[in-house]
Formats: sequence, C-alpha cells, structure tokens
Amino acid sequence: MNAFYSLFSAEEFSPLAIVLGMPLLGAFVNGVWGKRLGKEAVKTMALSAMAISFFAALFTFAALNHHVDSSAVEKVVEGHKVVEHEHVKLSWLAWEWMRASGAGGLSAIPIQAKFSVDALSGIMMLVITGIGFLIHLYASNYMETDKGYWRFFAYLNLFVFSMLILVLGDNLPLLFVGWEGVGLCSYLLIGFWYDKLPNAAAGKKAFIANRVGDFGLICAMFLIAHYCGALDWTGIEAGAKSLLSPDMVHVWPFGNAHYDGVFGFLQPKVPLMMTGATAVCACLLLGATGKSAQMPLYVWLPDAMAGPTPVSALIHAATMVTAGIYLICRLNFVFVLAPGVMAVIAGVGAFTALFAATIALVQNDLKKVLAYSTVSQLGFMFLGVGSGSFTAGFFHVLTHAFFKACLFLAAGSVIHAMHARVHDDEKSQDMRMMGGLKKYMPLTYGTFGAATLAIIGFPLTSGFFSKDEILFRSFSNSYQWVDKARAESLKMWMPPAYLGKIYYVMGVLAATLTAFYMCRAFFLTFYGDFKGWKIGKPVAAEGHDEDDHDDHGDDHHHDDLTIPGAAPHESPRPMTIPLIILAALAVFGGLLNPGLAKSLFHLESIPLEHWLEPVFATSMAKGIHEVEHNLSMELMCTAGAFSAFAIGSGLAYWTYIVNNGAPAKQWAAAAPGLHKMLMAKWMVDELYDATAISMVDGLADTFVGADKIVVDGILAQVTSFLAAAFGTAFRAVQNGMVHVYAAAMVVGVAGFSWFFAMPHAEGMIVDKGNGDFIVAAAPGFGYEYKFDDAQKFGATSEKPVHLDLPAADKSDKAKATAPVTKNVVLTVKNVFGIQDTKTFVLVRTPAKDKQMIGQN
Amino acid sequence: MAAHSTHEPVGVENAAKPVTLGQIVGALMFALVAAALAKFVSAQLLPVVIAAGVAYLMPTHLAENGKVRGAFGLMAGLLTLFVVRMWPGAEAVVGEEAPVESHTLLAWLVALPVLASIAVLFMPRQSPRLIQGFTFLAMIAELALSLPLLSVNMGRAFHFNQDIPWVASLGIHWHVAVDGVSLWLVLLTTFIVPVAAYASFGSITTRVKDWCFALLLLEGAMVGTFVSLDVVLFYVFFELGLVPMYVMIGVWGGTNRIKAAIKFFLYTMFGSVLMLAAILYLGWTHAKLTGTPSFDFFDLQRVQLPTSTMQVWLWAAFSLAFFIKVPMFPVHTWLPDAHTEAPTAGSVILAAVMLKMGTYGYLRFSMGLFPESCAKYGPTLAGVAVWGILYGALCAWKQDDIKRIIAYSSVAHLGYVMLGLFAATPASMEGSVLQMVNHGISTGALFMLVGVVYDQRHTRHVDDYGGIAKKMPLYTALFVIATMSSVGLPGLNGFVGEFMIITGTFTSGDGKLGPARGLQAMFAAFGVILAALYMLTLVQKVFFGPLKNPANKKLKDINSRELLAVAPLIALMFIVGLFPRLLLDQMHDACARIEEEYAERIQANPPGKDHSYYTGPIKLLAKSPNAPAPGTAPDAKPTTAPDGDTH
Repeated sequence: MNAFYSLFSAEEFSPLAIVLGMPLLGAFVNGVWGKRLGKEAVKTMALSAMAISFFAALFTFAALNHHVDSSAVEKVVEGHKVVEHEHVKLSWLAWEWMRASGAGGLSAIPIQAKFSVDALSGIMMLVITGIGFLIHLYASNYMETDKGYWRFFAYLNLFVFSMLILVLGDNLPLLFVGWEGVGLCSYLLIGFWYDKLPNAAAGKKAFIANRVGDFGLICAMFLIAHYCGALDWTGIEAGAKSLLSPDMVHVWPFGNAHYDGVFGFLQPKVPLMMTGATAVCACLLLGATGKSAQMPLYVWLPDAMAGPTPVSALIHAATMVTAGIYLICRLNFVFVLAPGVMAVIAGVGAFTALFAATIALVQNDLKKVLAYSTVSQLGFMFLGVGSGSFTAGFFHVLTHAFFKACLFLAAGSVIHAMHARVHDDEKSQDMRMMGGLKKYMPLTYGTFGAATLAIIGFPLTSGFFSKDEILFRSFSNSYQWVDKARAESLKMWMPPAYLGKIYYVMGVLAATLTAFYMCRAFFLTFYGDFKGWKIGKPVAAEGHDEDDHDDHGDDHHHDDLTIPGAAPHESPRPMTIPLIILAALAVFGGLLNPGLAKSLFHLESIPLEHWLEPVFATSMAKGIHEVEHNLSMELMCTAGAFSAFAIGSGLAYWTYIVNNGAPAKQWAAAAPGLHKMLMAKWMVDELYDATAISMVDGLADTFVGADKIVVDGILAQVTSFLAAAFGTAFRAVQNGMVHVYAAAMVVGVAGFSWFFAMPHAEGMIVDKGNGDFIVAAAPGFGYEYKFDDAQKFGATSEKPVHLDLPAADKSDKAKATAPVTKNVVLTVKNVFGIQDTKTFVLVRTPAKDKQMIGQN
Repeated sequence: MAAHSTHEPVGVENAAKPVTLGQIVGALMFALVAAALAKFVSAQLLPVVIAAGVAYLMPTHLAENGKVRGAFGLMAGLLTLFVVRMWPGAEAVVGEEAPVESHTLLAWLVALPVLASIAVLFMPRQSPRLIQGFTFLAMIAELALSLPLLSVNMGRAFHFNQDIPWVASLGIHWHVAVDGVSLWLVLLTTFIVPVAAYASFGSITTRVKDWCFALLLLEGAMVGTFVSLDVVLFYVFFELGLVPMYVMIGVWGGTNRIKAAIKFFLYTMFGSVLMLAAILYLGWTHAKLTGTPSFDFFDLQRVQLPTSTMQVWLWAAFSLAFFIKVPMFPVHTWLPDAHTEAPTAGSVILAAVMLKMGTYGYLRFSMGLFPESCAKYGPTLAGVAVWGILYGALCAWKQDDIKRIIAYSSVAHLGYVMLGLFAATPASMEGSVLQMVNHGISTGALFMLVGVVYDQRHTRHVDDYGGIAKKMPLYTALFVIATMSSVGLPGLNGFVGEFMIITGTFTSGDGKLGPARGLQAMFAAFGVILAALYMLTLVQKVFFGPLKNPANKKLKDINSRELLAVAPLIALMFIVGLFPRLLLDQMHDACARIEEEYAERIQANPPGKDHSYYTGPIKLLAKSPNAPAPGTAPDAKPTTAPDGDTH
C-alpha cells in the first residue's frame, strides 16, 4: 500500500485532478446534453461523477495520512511521549494563471492555478464529496418528477466542483474563484424554479449579499498583495510579519493625506490608523460574514430556502456556508495578529447565534426554522474560531454538516410526503399542517430525531461535544501578542479578558433557545394529530396525479384538503439511506473529537485535534493562551451547556407535548409586541430596505437625474444653445447691406495695418544642455535684429550664447550648485524704423547639467 | 411547463434522437485520447481532434445541417489552435525557425478592407447576397491575414515595422508597427468585425450595399488607428472611423437615430479637432528643435516641453479627445444615445472596438508623449475614473432600456481600464489592456444577444419582457454567461483584468497615484457589487418570473446563425478567463517598456514646488532605444530579418 501512495509525489499529486475533474465533467455533460439524455443517464452521470470523486478524495486522504505518518517525530515532553507532525501538503499545479502587482507596484506576483490538500482542506474535501454524494443520491429521487432534472444535476455538480476549488485552491485568488463559483451555483439553484418571481428575487438577493462580502475579500487580497507580496498560503504565512509593519493603513484622514482649507477641522491631530493585519482581517471578516450568513449579511440565507430542499441541505447547511469559517481557519496565522478582530469575530458569532435563535422560536415554516438554526449554528462556529479555538470551530463545521444535512433531508422527506397532497409550497412546509407523522414516516422520524438530539446537545452526541468545546474555549481562552514589542510600539488594542465570559453566557442562552425551538419543530411535526388533510380512502375522481408535483405553475386546480386522501407515506430508499447514514454520523460523530473525554480520562490526544494540530500549531502557540488541565473549569462549562439542553428541551416538552402548545399561545398573548417583532424577524430586512438600499436607490435616482439635467444639460444643451445664440447674433450683422460690409472692412483693414506697422520682439530660447543656448527671434516683415549692445541692426535672427560654469570650487558648495544666469536683450526694427525690445534670461543649473549629460 | 407544451407539437424532445450513454462514453474516450495526444504526442493535432469532436457532438437542433456543423467545428478548431500556439512555452514545440516578418503585412491589413469597400461600390445593388458574401469573405481574409501577427514573439520591441514618407515636405510618414499592446487590439478588431457583420446580415435588409461599404471602411480605419505610429496618420484613421459609424447610426438606427448620430459625431469631433491642433504644435516644435518637421511618435517623444505651461495644454488636447472617445465621466452622454439607436452590429463594433481607440490612444500617445502631465493629473483623474465606475453602474441600474443598461455598464467598465492606466504599474497596465479585450468580448456578446430578441420583438424595453427563459432556454444560458463575464465572475474573462487593475491601483507607488489610492482601490472594488446589482436585476426582469406578456409567447430560441456568431465570444470568455497568460505573456514586455519609459521621464524631472514636473525650456531628449530601426524605404526587400529586436 505504501508503494501505491508513493506513486505520486507530494509536489505533483495529480489525483487531485480527478477529485476536481469528475464533478466538472458531470456538470458539463449534464449541462450540454442533459435535456436529451433522459433521467436515467443524467442520474448515472451525476452520481458516478460524485462517487468517483469521493473515492479519489478518499485515496487522497489516505495518501495524505501516509505522508503525515512518515513525517512523524516522537518527542518526550514533560514525561509524556508526544508525536509531532509536520504540516504536510500535497499539491498539484495545473497551469500558470495570471500575475498581480506586488508591493510598490514594482514586483509582479505570479498567481498559479495550483491546488493543494492538507489536514484542514482534506477534511473539507471528504465532507464535500461524501455528503455531496449522499445528497445527490437523495436528490436523484426527490427531484424525480421535475422537468429540469438535468439542469438541477448540472448545477449541483458544478456547485461541488466550485466548492472543491474553494477548499483546494492554493492561493487566495483561486479560493476566490471557488468562493464566487459557489455563489453563482447558489444563485442558480435558489432560483431553480425561476418562473416564480420570489425565487428569482431570493437568488438575486443571495448573490448580491454575497457580493458585499466578496468586496471585502477583494480588498483583503490587494492589502495582502501589498503587505505580504504573495497571495499563496505559504507566501502569506511567510510574509505575515510585515502585516505588523509601521506602514499602517490610515483610516482617517485617508491615506495620510494632509488637507488644508474649509474642512481642515475634520482632520485629527493624530491620524486614525490600524495595522495591516487589522485591516486585512476586517476585510476577510466581511467576506466571511457574507458567505457564512452572519450579522449583518445573514439576511439572504432564510430567503435561500426557496430552492429545492437538497440544495438547502448541501449548500445552505453543510458546505457553502461554512466557507467563511474555513477561510478564517485557513488564514489563522493572519488572524492571530489582530486579536481585536478575533474578538469581533467571536462577538459577531455569539450575537448572531442568539439573534437567529430568537427568530427561529416562532417560525412556522419547517425549512425557515432550520434556516435560522443554521445561521445560529454558524454563529457558534464563529464564536469558536473567534475565541482562538480553531479546532473547536472547525469541529462544529463537521458535526453541523452531519446533523444539519440530516435535518434538512429529513425535512425534505416530510415535505415530499406533504407535497403529495398539498401543492402550495408554503403550506406544504408549514408545521401547523403537519403533526403525528411519527406513525406514517418512521424512518424519517427516527433520523430527524437523532439529528435533533445532536443539535440540541444531548450528551455524547456529536453536537454535544462540539458545542461544549466551543463554549468552554470561549470562556477560558485569552489572546496574547504574537510580537509583543511591536504590538506595543504600534499601540494595538487588546480585547479585555471578560469578553469571553460574556460570549459564554450568550452562547449558553443561544444553546437553550436552540434546544427549545428544535424540540418544538420536532414535536410539532411528528407528534400529536395529523392536521394536513383528512386521512381516508381517496376518492378516485378527485385523486391527484402524484407525478405532477413538479408543476408549480399557477394553472393547477385549487386543492380541497377536506376531501379524504391517502396517508402520508414514507419516502423511498434512495432518500432514506442517506438519512440513516447521516443520522448515524450525527449521533456518533462526536467521537472524532471528544474534548471532555480527553480531560476526564487524561487521553494523550483525540483524533481530530491531533490531526489538525500542525495546521494551527504555530498560531495557537503564539497568539492564543489556552487553559491547560483545568478539569473543574471544564466541568463547570459543561454543566452550563448541559443545563441549556435540559432546560430548553424540557420546556419544549412541557409546552408542546404535555400541554399541547397552550403555553406558547399564552406567551404570545402576554407579549404581543415581542411576538410580532419575532414573527417579523426583528424587521431587519425592512431596516435594510429603509437605510442602505434606499440610500443606494436614492443615489442612483440622483445620478440619473443629474446625468440628464446637469451633465448632458450643460455639455450638450448649453453648448448647442450658445452655438445657436452666436449664430443668431452674427446673422444680424450679415444683413446684405453693402455699406455695412464696407464699414466693417475699413475697421478690419485699419486693425491689420496697425499690427503690421508695429514691430514685435518675440523669440524662444533653445537649451542644448551643455551650456550652449540659442536665442532665436521670431521673423517678421522687413525685420532687422540687434542683440545686446551691438552697434548695428543685422539680418541674423539668432544669437548663440555660451554660459560657462564657474571653475570647480570644492570649498564652496553653494557656489558650485548656484545657477549661472545671463540676460540677452533683443531689439527689433521694422521697415518703418520703429523699434521694440525684449529681454531674455538664460539660466544654466549645474545639477541639471549633469543629469542631462548622463542621459545623452 | 405543462401549459407551454400544449402549444408546441407534442413530444418535441422525443422526436429528436436522444443522446445515449454510449455516445457519452464515446465522447469521454475521445476526450481522453485528445488529452493523451496533447500530453504525449503532439499538441499540434489537438485542434483537428477538437474540431472533429465538436462537429460530431453538436446537438442536432443547434446544427441542422452539415455546413453549420462544419462551421462550429472549424471555429472550435481555430480557437484550440490559438490556445495551443499561444500556450506558455509552446515555441519549443513549434520549432526554432525564425518567422519572417513582412514589412508590408500591416499595410495590407489596412488596405484590404479599404480596397474591398471600394470594390463593393462597383457591385450591383440588386444582389445583396453577393455583396454580403463578398464582404464576409473579405473580413475572413482580413482575419486570416492578421493571424501571422501571432507568429512573432512580441517582447519589448515593435514589429512588422514599415516607414515610408507620405508627405515628405511636412515630415508626415506612413509609419505602422505593432507591439504587444496594439497586437491584441488589431486582433480584436479583425475578430469582432466579421462576427458582428455575420450577425447583422440577418437583420439589416435595407441598403445592404451601403451597409457593407460602411462596415469594411470602418474595419480598415480601426486597424489603421491601432497600428499607426505617425501621429498625423493616427489622426487620419481616428477620424476616418467616425464617418462610417455616423452613417451606420444615422441610416440603420432606431427612432431617434439622427439626433444620436449627430451627437456622437459632434462630441468625438470636438475632442479630435483639439488634438489636431496639438499635433500641429508638436510637429512645429520638433521642426524648431531639429530643423526638420516630423510627426513620428518616436521623434515627438523626444520633445520635452515644460509641464508648467505648454505640455499640459497639449496633453489636455490629446487626452480630452481620448476621454470623449472612451468615454469618461462627464463626457460620456453621447454613448448611451449612440448605443441605443445604433443597429446591433453598430453597437457591437462601437463598444468592442471604437471605445478602445480612446483607451489605446491614452496609453500610447498621452502617456508616451506627455508622461509628466499624466503623472501630474493621474491621481485626480483616477478619482474621476473611480467616480465613473460608480456613476455608470448606478445609472445603469436605473435604466429601463436594455441597450442603455449595457451602454452605462460600458462607462463603468472603461472606468476600470482608465484606472489601470492612471495607476501605471506594469501589472495594472497589462490588466487594462486585457480589460480592453475583455470588454470587447463581453459587451460585444451582450449587444449581440440583445439584438436576437430585438429582431423578434422590436423593443428594447425591459418591461416588455419577463419570464422569457421558459421560451428561450439556450438564449438565457448564453445571456447569463455573458452577464457573469461582465459582472466579473472569476473563471471568466472579466475578473482577471479587474483584479489586476484593482491590485495595481492599491500597490501603485506614491509617485503615480496619490495618497488616496487606497480609497480609489476600495471604491473600484465596490463597483463589483454594483455590477452584480444592475446586471442581475436586468436578467431577473427579462428572463425570470412568470411569462406575462402574450407577445412573448411566440418568441423563438436563438437560431443557429445567431449562435454561430455569438459562440466564439462565449468560448473566448472561458479561454481568456482561464488562460489569461495566453494574452498577458505577449503584452507583458511591451507594458513593462511603456512603464519604464514613463517612469524614467518622471524620475528625471521630479515635481517642484508648484507641482510641475519640468519647468525648463523646450529641449530635445535622446531617442528612445526602443524605437524600431530606421524605416524601410519603399523599395526595400521585405525579406530583411526582423528588426528592432533590441532585447
């Protein structure tokens, strides 16, 4: 086996081409010929592409593991045997892509289409291809009756391809290709049923909100190019030091410019500055909030649920939205240089986790609950990485991929069953129409339940371990300077340690709400009585053609739900198998990184942490202060997390099972304002509409108006009016009367005569550069010239002059560089004997002289 | 979908033979063989293989007969040939024989379309097919004739140099040559014009003879503009291009065509007349300094004028002409009118090539002749360019005419090009030249695609459409690809240029862009958001949502003639986006040369107290070592070795 792995060297690991190429091939074949291929062939193509890609990814991962093992070095630290690994990377250069300007605009940074896989991207690669395959399998059945089957799989394959580029790209611009690529696929898939305007609008909203984030990423890229002089991971890491150089970003006044004048008072005495690291990290954070749906750019994600459910599972839960966390983990060595931004990341995460959870409390649409829950869980991940525990944050990415994909797919299974009868999209997802599905859909019930247990943090499930780790780390971690002397000389801000405690409390609150709303969704969907329609023997005449459910047009008849119909049915096997696998992963996935167990049983290492250690080792050692071996503190934090689970789920059980939802109604009635705000999602969309969007809108209106009235008005209308006005004025003179013309002629002739009768002493100086000058007088009718004090007028109009520099006098520097000047007086006489005089000043500067000689 | 399938003959999809999995496997095997060929045997065979593959695999409903199939195959083959030939390090494969540079090639390139346009005058007006065929053939011959330009490794030097006295007493020469910058603009011209002409043959049915005459004359003038190195010659071609375009808008345009044509003519004419005055002054100064008049670019480059007075005026006269042509804010308002009223092919050529005359002119002449003035006003103008990016984008968002949206998007896109030139780092200038080509490809494709629906519905109003994706799926796919290219999606062509320009702007040294460069780079990047805003709004309003307007129910998807015209542009979006080095490698050294000459002049004359770079008397500098060797006499043998190769 080892020989097999060493077939490919680490520098030229071409199997990556298969991992990347297969989804692209699937997208291409299905996109171009899909319409004529037939469903079977489309399915075969898409699924086999994903399967081959997954196996190639497995092989790559195994090979990576092999390379890691062979780099292992055993060390003895404090009596323990510790195995240390190098940060191994397998890479493959496809081709040279382009170049960008480096620092000072002088150097050029080559940007290669180069892909690499290391411990971090290896896991992402497996998640994308593995879960991607399961979701493809699921979708092959879920989308079966849709006319755009081929289109759907072409987009989905293209998405997987883009996502793989995002995680495997070896430099920031290449990551950006994937970053925008997944945005495009998301846009296409959200608007998959494009004939419905809200879907198309939701797609556009997602793309533009993402673009706001992408703007941050572009800014980060040019800042990094400027400071680090490189854009690939290795180069950025090597050049990261210069992000803390004294050449700081001037926030105000812009670019250290100095203004005088009316607005001078706006200029502070000490310019407002931030380090390159802070600026880069702030820009990256903006990018990450866009893609990972955090405050303030989260608004697109709930709307994105307009897409087909498998899309929500794959793109808007498991993979794409975690790209922001991946980016932060990937560039961890940059982020630890800016603890201020790290604290902001954690704060954004904690706040988003709490904020989204409150909205999820009252939503009735099953997919909307899951959407807000995704936003909230992504907040937890931000809290993790922002607290400096990259492993914990990334572990939550992994477990969230398992349980949230499972939840979405199970929800899809429910919707699929509901949709057999309820054709309205909104109603078929409304939990008030469901209930009691436990009986009809046991597999879906079981898997949804397992995933719910994971997300609410039931002890020993995957979500329990990952969330617990995040909360503990946010409580206990603190930042430290990577380069203390420099940080102090730059007067950088260090976030206070109590912030972590606040974030911990917010996290626990959010976890409590998570437990409540997830249990609420679970109970409303699967317990109680079925409220969708009357179950009984279907009436043949009214029986709806089940194959018709792709038809979302407005032409189908109104569903009468009072007529009895068949009971909701369990989904077929291609849909349930992925559910079962994902549910198993959701329950047992925590064993990958049981942080609590490590402290309790004094384990030397736990798998994921050990695996990711080389990626984060340097920055963790330098930038983050971690509490070691404090079992009591860890147990206390765990107790908080556990009580969050217990209180939240217990309350939900009491409300929805014991009292059948009555308390929820009482609470809503008790605080109608709050309930209304929650139902309206805190009016954030309306707020954005009223502020940012209407501002841009107003600006655009102003510009359009100005374009028409001011720009075009002044340039085109006024000039044409002036031309017309002059035309009118001159026409008045051209009146055809001979005596007027004759008078004008007399005036004209007199004017010209005067001009010619008077001499004009004009001329130019030609500087030859070596001290030779020529004063050339302008010619004129019958002119004679006289230069300086010459006795007679002559016909030569030019006078050569040579200016000598003073003899080199080394003692007197001022004299050696002083310019030598000479005046030349030109007198001109014309045929009438009238004279005119002008003085020319010749200047020779020694310093410039030398330069010119050098040039010639 | 159910509703629409009742209107169409039942089972359209079943009627056509579905592609079997066997065929797909066959295609894959075929791709593998092609890849193996490229890797191990010879990349030279690849174009043939790809051409055959595309011709074979083209879906039947897109290529109804063998001729169309062949045309698609040929095009794919040519594009592949281009990629293979230009691939970095491909020279080693081609062999070491030094290509012979013909000194008359450029003369022929200019003369062929002009002569063809004269020939058209003698053809019978009654047989439009003959005239169209002849015109198209001449354009294809022109394209073929321009391909040998690629056979030379451009490097820093000028190539295909020809220098013959024209008006000897005034020192006006026929001096033409190409370097890595003008090479791509010449190729863009010879490539876009036949594509636009081919697309126009379906929609222009009146006065075909005049149309073909105008097209050919325009092509000759545009090629001439990009190859001229004599300023008077440049001016002649710059103005010559104006006339056919004026006629094209005025005769075959929309309802307000006369007004738009006059506006177009007056705006551009105003700038270029000032430029003429500046040219004459420069030539006269040269005569003063050396005794002989000359309008040669390399001679005029030696004339050093004081920045405190005259140079600024001359620079302003030149640059204003170029800014109007580009067009930069605030002299852009002729563009939306001209684009809206022009016929499809006119819009395509106007956007793709004619606007580049302005950007190219600034790069070559303003920056080449007056570097100090460029440096003096560059930072301010970069601000104007960035303003133009945001302004154009926001105006585009609020338009309700599809062509007006794309026209305003051109204002924004060309803002990027100008920003890259003002930043004047080697990479940002490369980005600018690349962006000129990119804008030609994407905007050309967009205008051509708009023409497809305009021909059917005779309206450009956004609100008249909506939900037409259902009726025109392939068209929608192509339009979305072109949109994404225009928006700057990485992987497609638009991104590469924008990225190089924006990084170049930020990293541009203090001597080039001022302290506000960070802000300028940031706002330029902000333009990327706005681009998505207006283009996606357009796409959503036109293509998505329910199909409400009954007039749109009769729309037919893009036909094979239109597809054939737009396909090479779409293919190039991917080629340039993925392999920009194919273009960048050829222009790299030329841009570096221009930047060096520029920086040298500025460093030799650092700005004084009054921010003027040079205040001394008029003087003559040494001749640039990069100038091509003295021109060939008219009777010189064209077999002489390539000259001017100084590196």
